[in-house]
Amino acid sequence: MKIIKKDDLDSFVDYLIGSDPREVVGVKERGSKYAFDKLKSSKELRLDYDVTILPPKKYLLPQRETLLKFKSNDKIKTEPVNEVNGRIIVGVHPYDLIAIEQMDRIFSEEPEDPNYLKKREATVLIGVNMKNTSERCFAGSMKTAFTQDGYDLMLTDLGGKYAVEIGTEKGKELLKKSGVALADAGEEDKKMIEEKKRSLTFESKINFEPSDLPELMKSNYDNDKFWEENADNCYSCGTCNLVCPTCYCFDVKDLMEVTLKEGSRIRQWDGCLLEHFAEVAGGENFREERAQRYRHRYMRKGLYLHNRFEDIACVGCGRCSSQCVPDIADPAEIFNKLKEGKI
Amino acid sequence: MKQKIKPKVAFFDLAGCEGDQLQIANLEEKILDLLNLVEVVSFREVMKEHSDDYDIAFIEGSATNDHAEERLKEIRKNADIVVAIGACATIGGVNSIRNKQNHEEVGERVYGDNAELSELYISWEKAKPVDAVIKVDYKIHGCPIDRDEFLHVVESLVVGRVPNIPDYPVCVECKLNENVCAFEREEFCVGPVTRAGCDACCVNEGTRCWGCRGLIDNPNEEAHMEVLEEYGLTPEDVMKEFDLYFTWQKEARENE
Repeated sequence: MKIIKKDDLDSFVDYLIGSDPREVVGVKERGSKYAFDKLKSSKELRLDYDVTILPPKKYLLPQRETLLKFKSNDKIKTEPVNEVNGRIIVGVHPYDLIAIEQMDRIFSEEPEDPNYLKKREATVLIGVNMKNTSERCFAGSMKTAFTQDGYDLMLTDLGGKYAVEIGTEKGKELLKKSGVALADAGEEDKKMIEEKKRSLTFESKINFEPSDLPELMKSNYDNDKFWEENADNCYSCGTCNLVCPTCYCFDVKDLMEVTLKEGSRIRQWDGCLLEHFAEVAGGENFREERAQRYRHRYMRKGLYLHNRFEDIACVGCGRCSSQCVPDIADPAEIFNKLKEGKI
Repeated sequence: MKQKIKPKVAFFDLAGCEGDQLQIANLEEKILDLLNLVEVVSFREVMKEHSDDYDIAFIEGSATNDHAEERLKEIRKNADIVVAIGACATIGGVNSIRNKQNHEEVGERVYGDNAELSELYISWEKAKPVDAVIKVDYKIHGCPIDRDEFLHVVESLVVGRVPNIPDYPVCVECKLNENVCAFEREEFCVGPVTRAGCDACCVNEGTRCWGCRGLIDNPNEEAHMEVLEEYGLTPEDVMKEFDLYFTWQKEARENE
């Protein structure tokens, strides 16, 4: 573990922005909220943020992405597209790092998804431990408030200086190349980190072990009354899906230029809460009711993805909960109510 | 691809501002690509010629009187495909605001004391979207329409596939663009019940969604009314939020 002075960290970020060929993005203010965005200067970086509107998955699985271009003059010619830009992402919270690790497993499954994996390979992740937590974040009880891996470098604010944990060779090289001044962390620093971690508080939590979730969800699949009551005010707007760091569903469309000579195949984020998500050719919809779609999301988070990857696919970031306008999408509340047998 | 016979296209307008046809006229260089696909036989905004021999009719504006009804029936007879363009034609648009108001007072407000005598105000009590009078095959929503969506619909009709018109709320596009939600900015928004397809353009520019593309097919209106009241609107204000563009659709849904 190393120690870097606050000013030197700023210089390091400015060095990356100015000298590294890769794009440098980090957490910036956006209105009254925060968002990952391109950095022009270290001054824009807000490492004390609580949560961003969208998770950093947007850099690995962009909201809209071209997969293929085709031309149809005499013969049809197709050309796969994968726009990979090297990128350094600064300020990723542990729950988002854990979510990215889950996405890595999902997109590495056969058939591999090169559009995700190539972008992932070209990405450097500089994490930061939470200094502030958002009102709806319940990462503490989901065991996702801290992580030992998933980052290239990990920062912890120690007031006037940062602790730097080096996660990979990639991270180590980045520091070395910049020539930034680093000191070795002493016993005091390590104690201070432990103290910072202990003092991190969350206003929201689940009242049981996250490992109990798969069984809990399984036993409540047929709890129709519960799902119907709780989904009553659902807009089916998909916000909870779109802002989730572990939701990865997308829709694929072929778009033709008006010349009718060329076109492209694109993918765009989709969400299981949207009414037509489970509609198939012929018009059959496998989840026609709001309650069925509402239940499906919780099943995915607590049970289905656990069955496939042994991951609890909710990392407790609280984005779905805080961005749901009718305020019906708080997983901590839903999980707790289910556990207590309430409606 | 070998050039086949081009479908003939005609544009018509009823009560409206012609802003949607203006969007099409504003396609600029893309209009040439469009003319490679279709033959325009009638388009008052850009040409003098007119013909009643057409395959696809694009209709802008609301139907507000018997004359409009006659014209629409004639168009339906001539065209294989009828496409309503713009909010006035697809959902009654702002014309329908008056549907809930006193018809005489509306006339007086616009034409003064002599409204009854004015030939200009020969109008039904209700302004109607095109599909309340004749069968409409496709709708291009918006106030005004989105130029790219118009091109997408033309291209789809020419190649013979169903155009891709979203049936999910504006919130989807707003989230994809990572906007700060209007409700977080202490504004009111009807995006959660409004059909997307505009790329949330108003919210992208820092304002809110006004609902010009109309309600999605299955909106949760009750939930949204509850939310608006929770955020501090009175029931009257809530109704106003829904009246700007949704008057016709709301009434139609209530009568279902």
